[in-house]
Amino acid sequence: MSEQADIERPAAEFRAQPLLSARGITKHFGNDGGMFSKASAPIRAVEGVDLDIASGEVLGVVGESGSGKSTLGRLVLRLIEPTSGTVSFDGKDLCSLQTGEMRRFRRHMQMIFQDPFSSLNARMTIGDALVEPIALHLGLRGQAARDAAVGVLERVGLHADHMKRYPRMFSGGQRQRIAIARALASSPRFIVADEPVSALDVSVQAEVINLLQQLQKELGLTLMFISHDLSVVEVITDRVMVLYLGRVMELAPTESLYGNPAHPYTAALLQAAPGMISVKKHILKGEIPSPANPPSGCVFRTRCPFAIDACAHTVPTLRPVGPDHLKACIRDDIEL
Amino acid sequence: MPLTEQAVETAARRPVLSVQDLKTHFMTDAGIIKAVNGVSLSVGEGETLAVVGESGSGKSVTGLTVMRLLGRTTARVVGGSIEFVDRDGKAIDLLNLSDMGMEKVRGHDIAMIFQDPMSSLNPVFTIGNQIAEPIRIHQGYGKKEARGKALDLLRQVGISDPESRIDSYPHQLSGGMRQRVMIAIALACDPRLLIADEPTTALDVTIQAQIMALLKQLQAERNMAMIFVTHDLKLVDEIADRVAVMYASQVVEEGPVDQVLGHPRHPYTKALLECIPSRRDAQGERRQLHPIPGTLPNPLSPPSGCRFHPRCGFAADICIASDPELEAVTSDHVTRCLRWQEVAL
Repeated sequence: MSEQADIERPAAEFRAQPLLSARGITKHFGNDGGMFSKASAPIRAVEGVDLDIASGEVLGVVGESGSGKSTLGRLVLRLIEPTSGTVSFDGKDLCSLQTGEMRRFRRHMQMIFQDPFSSLNARMTIGDALVEPIALHLGLRGQAARDAAVGVLERVGLHADHMKRYPRMFSGGQRQRIAIARALASSPRFIVADEPVSALDVSVQAEVINLLQQLQKELGLTLMFISHDLSVVEVITDRVMVLYLGRVMELAPTESLYGNPAHPYTAALLQAAPGMISVKKHILKGEIPSPANPPSGCVFRTRCPFAIDACAHTVPTLRPVGPDHLKACIRDDIEL
Repeated sequence: MPLTEQAVETAARRPVLSVQDLKTHFMTDAGIIKAVNGVSLSVGEGETLAVVGESGSGKSVTGLTVMRLLGRTTARVVGGSIEFVDRDGKAIDLLNLSDMGMEKVRGHDIAMIFQDPMSSLNPVFTIGNQIAEPIRIHQGYGKKEARGKALDLLRQVGISDPESRIDSYPHQLSGGMRQRVMIAIALACDPRLLIADEPTTALDVTIQAQIMALLKQLQAERNMAMIFVTHDLKLVDEIADRVAVMYASQVVEEGPVDQVLGHPRHPYTKALLECIPSRRDAQGERRQLHPIPGTLPNPLSPPSGCRFHPRCGFAADICIASDPELEAVTSDHVTRCLRWQEVAL
């Protein structure tokens, strides 16, 4: 984990050819009334999100629990089917792929989960866990597959001796390294990391963040980094999307989002985060409403200190407020 | 924090709890785990002491030992003393108190809240029932009066429309509201000391900010002493007057928050601070995180000498050979480092 000089990316230029894009992606969970249950209002987890991630970009997704950030991560990998909208990867429409085609496609897109205790199979040695995706996706067998497995293990800072051991023999930080190695095993181009450091102690967390940054640069990975921890997101991302009740509130390059938040929700999140901003102007009142029954107009208006009557009637669209900086708020006359 | 000096003075004058050289050991099949090994702490009226450390550092076990909530078959307090000063100014030796005596203290004089409010609330009783219980037991109120007091407490912890919430069951509430209910139960009998063990770790940042503000406000109103156990150094800065940093079952540094976090005198404190992702510097450059090399020591066989020496960038031969004692940096700031005067942190 040596020097990692920061590459400033001319973001707009990068995004001319996005690696992954989603248009109007929506997911409603719920039942329309089966044999034993009454129909109920669907949970509107993600509501009409547009998204472009450039090759080599790290996009952060932040929001409270229930904001739809994990659902969005699963949707862009097509681990769950969208209710409507499309996702395309490298120009190919993922939703049009048949099951078999999709399975072959998965080598390009992988996921890292929060809890390395439950995301690794306790009965599989590390070697077996790594050889499996290598055999499946890269078609390597026997010694060649094992050599490739040792290769990825070394990439994440572990070594060949660890191949024969079981997950229980490793610490939390080492397990998260193994989970990262497993995601890297098929040489993917795109990884969704869903709260990958949230379960770790700070000293271990720093280690895993540095590792992810280093791998991202060396391998040119494209990363969607989902987290509720704003300070971690600031360190690792190029651009950040702020979600609330499944809708995008603000989308901006990391520096302008943190330095100059344009949406009241972003400002409130930054003020609530410990150690971020010492002057707490507004402690956000109340809690995130039920996604089964979201407020009309702007979904954030029920907790927004700047809400006016108009906020209840119009659904705000994402509009530019600066270079590459978008917000979904109808008010321009507020001081955050 | 302008209150710090005043608070330290108060602490020196009227300590509510003082723990001296506490040793809590767990007897396991694999051997003895010295989970708390010679910990001394004290907290005064109206003061907040943060106890911070990584998992396995012994911070929670310290709190549980004070409350005497550890199972007797495995956990043994093999040394030290815990002295609590009650409302009448009488000192009580908690370790030698009878079980009956301890029951009177617990929930009445000293209360505790935990990380996960779902598993600390009873799922089959309404929250009103659970708040009223300590009031009836410790203060001898009747059913009706206790219910009135419970309503009042729900209002104080910021639950809107308490009349309709009081008959709810825990599963009908959100995580933030459950933690508010836990706080209401803890404060029901106006305790002198509140031990909060990672009370906001399971909550969203926005709800965390609400609970932190609530705890601060209630503490100020009641002039209560508080021990705030956390792994998050950023929260320490927001809530505490003094902080004790724990590593491998010992306090390695203790003092006023601005001194310990601003000018740490122990290499571990310094290393922990460097692990925290922080705002970019003035030039907008991202700061590199510096993880602590190595891993936490095995609790069954901690390293010789200074527990931190295998991971410390400043370790010398002396650190392997001799056990460091807590040394005074200033009158109220101590560090457990043999080389604190030589090394430039």
